[in-house]
Amino acid sequence: MIYADRTAGIIVTGATGKQGAFHIALMNEYSRSVGGKGVVAGVTPGKGGQEMHGVPVYDSVRAALADHDASVSVIFVPGGAAGDSVMEVASAGISLAVVITEHIPVHDTMKAIAFARLNNCDVIGPNCPGMLSPGEIKLGIMPAHLFSRGPVGVISRSGTLTYEIVDELTRAGLGQSTVVGIGGDPVIGQTFSEVLSRFEEDDSTRAVVLIGEVGGSLEEEGAASTDLPLAAYIAGISAPPEKRMGHAGAIIEGGEGDARSKIERLKKMDVPVASRPSEIPALIRKLI
Amino acid sequence: MKLMEYEAKSVFAENGIPVPRGVVIRSPAELAAKFRDLPREFVLKAQVEVGGRGKAGGIVMADQASGERMAAELFGRTIKGVPVHEILAEEKLSITHEYYASIAIDRATKCALILFTEEGGVDIETLARERPEAVRKGALPVLMNRIPPFMERNLLGKAPREIGLVLQKLYQVFLRKDAMLAEINPLVSTPQGVFAADAKLIIDDNALKRQGITQNRDLSEREREAEKHGFSYVELSGSIGVIGNGAGLTMATLDLIGFYGGKAANFLDVGGGADQERVMHAVRLVAGVPTVKVIIVNLLGGITRCDDVARGIIEAGVRQTIIVRLAGTNEAEGKALLAEQGYRMLDSMEEAVRAAVEVAK
Repeated sequence: MIYADRTAGIIVTGATGKQGAFHIALMNEYSRSVGGKGVVAGVTPGKGGQEMHGVPVYDSVRAALADHDASVSVIFVPGGAAGDSVMEVASAGISLAVVITEHIPVHDTMKAIAFARLNNCDVIGPNCPGMLSPGEIKLGIMPAHLFSRGPVGVISRSGTLTYEIVDELTRAGLGQSTVVGIGGDPVIGQTFSEVLSRFEEDDSTRAVVLIGEVGGSLEEEGAASTDLPLAAYIAGISAPPEKRMGHAGAIIEGGEGDARSKIERLKKMDVPVASRPSEIPALIRKLI
Repeated sequence: MKLMEYEAKSVFAENGIPVPRGVVIRSPAELAAKFRDLPREFVLKAQVEVGGRGKAGGIVMADQASGERMAAELFGRTIKGVPVHEILAEEKLSITHEYYASIAIDRATKCALILFTEEGGVDIETLARERPEAVRKGALPVLMNRIPPFMERNLLGKAPREIGLVLQKLYQVFLRKDAMLAEINPLVSTPQGVFAADAKLIIDDNALKRQGITQNRDLSEREREAEKHGFSYVELSGSIGVIGNGAGLTMATLDLIGFYGGKAANFLDVGGGADQERVMHAVRLVAGVPTVKVIIVNLLGGITRCDDVARGIIEAGVRQTIIVRLAGTNEAEGKALLAEQGYRMLDSMEEAVRAAVEVAK
């Protein structure tokens, strides 16, 4: 388990939107089932005083923190204002911001991440499903019923593909320590190498699955940065160059970041790479 | 969105980066009409969105006598399959030295990455591979509003101060325009001063609205339809239509089709909230691709309502075989609905892909 445990209070920003409100309820359902603190407050400027599924809503993060104890934040604020929301939680003293929002302009993301770093706040995402440590805490929108507790860490640029592979692991009797969706954008707060360095400090994690895709080289840089046993799956072997495959970051540019060369580089580092998601459990079993 | 060279140059010029004197023409006759004080020698550059335009015959030299004829010839050409609708006619420069300058988004440092070399006019990737020491780099958090003097000095090396000014202005363009990439290759010295001889500017798709830019590119009818519904859609050339939710899962579905020897016709990510109507539109869209023989719908989500999805598939009422893999809430109900109508619903994506490949054979 990394980043946060059940004792962490959660503030949701963008709390009164459809997504935010819906997932406050699901996150608190989860926290109740594991005896966690859960979402203690929501924030939407101008909507202070309301309640969402029993959670009080405030106009600002500072006002919420005056009444509640919280250390992490989940951000559902829409695109143009999400970067501002990250900076708000960081400057208020929150130490982890999980950004679910998609379609944030990348310059806003770069500014928000740099600003958050100055305030010692880690950013997961944007454009991610969040993270889940089974039995401890759920931050974001992952479907909890597919997860089980165990020794496998998972880091992924994807959402639903993560659920697919977590489901395969759970069915194979391989539980997870923490599953982190790092996001599908070109610039993201926590990259593979940063999450891997957390897993290195975590006694409950014995092997890590990297779920990558076309675009950039963060998977290989992550694999090169750690001694942890790894297995990988890279999506997009059939992706044509210069076409954006759904995620803003999933694009082969200037002949770089294609799946084949990624897989080759990972294999050179002795990281086993699955050619189908269903092969992951067998690869992990060999490692632990 | 990638801007055309002339659009990028006009942005550069607005921000104080010198560009060659020139005009955009849409017919050969416009050359003499629009290009005042037509220079003795000039360059005609096809405005097409393809790489390697020069080698493909998209750039030609001309003079006053041959200009109109050369322009007519270029308008008649296709560059790597792309027809020429616009030509940028520019004065010919007396180049004494070529540099390369670019600013891009860097995933690893989460910063703006400035690249500069005094050995311009070459393919930057090749130079970076073969002689990395020739390419100078500076990573800059975009919280900074200008390139710090030390970094400018380090980047420039022996290059003159006026090149440094261009770098600063290029950084301003990068910031103001929400750029993913701002590139000048080559950036040239001439007796008349420095100029951006070529220009490349890619604007972040997520910032087009606040930049006041409308996506104006030649989308196919299906691509336009997909955009309207908020689908991520890429057309490929096979016979198996693919609909998934989530970019990673949809890509993995495509890859599995390839693994089992099939060929995908498209990538379509319906995005979050796959409800009845969105699924119906997605199925109809993919079914409209003439080569599609079978469609695989692969939806996995904690909160996706399978009965809604089933109704969407049925409502679409298309002629092709549809193979469905659904996981979410109300699974049994969805499965029953689909079975009634003779659609196949399978439990795993692997089974579903194998079934689809079988049908496509």
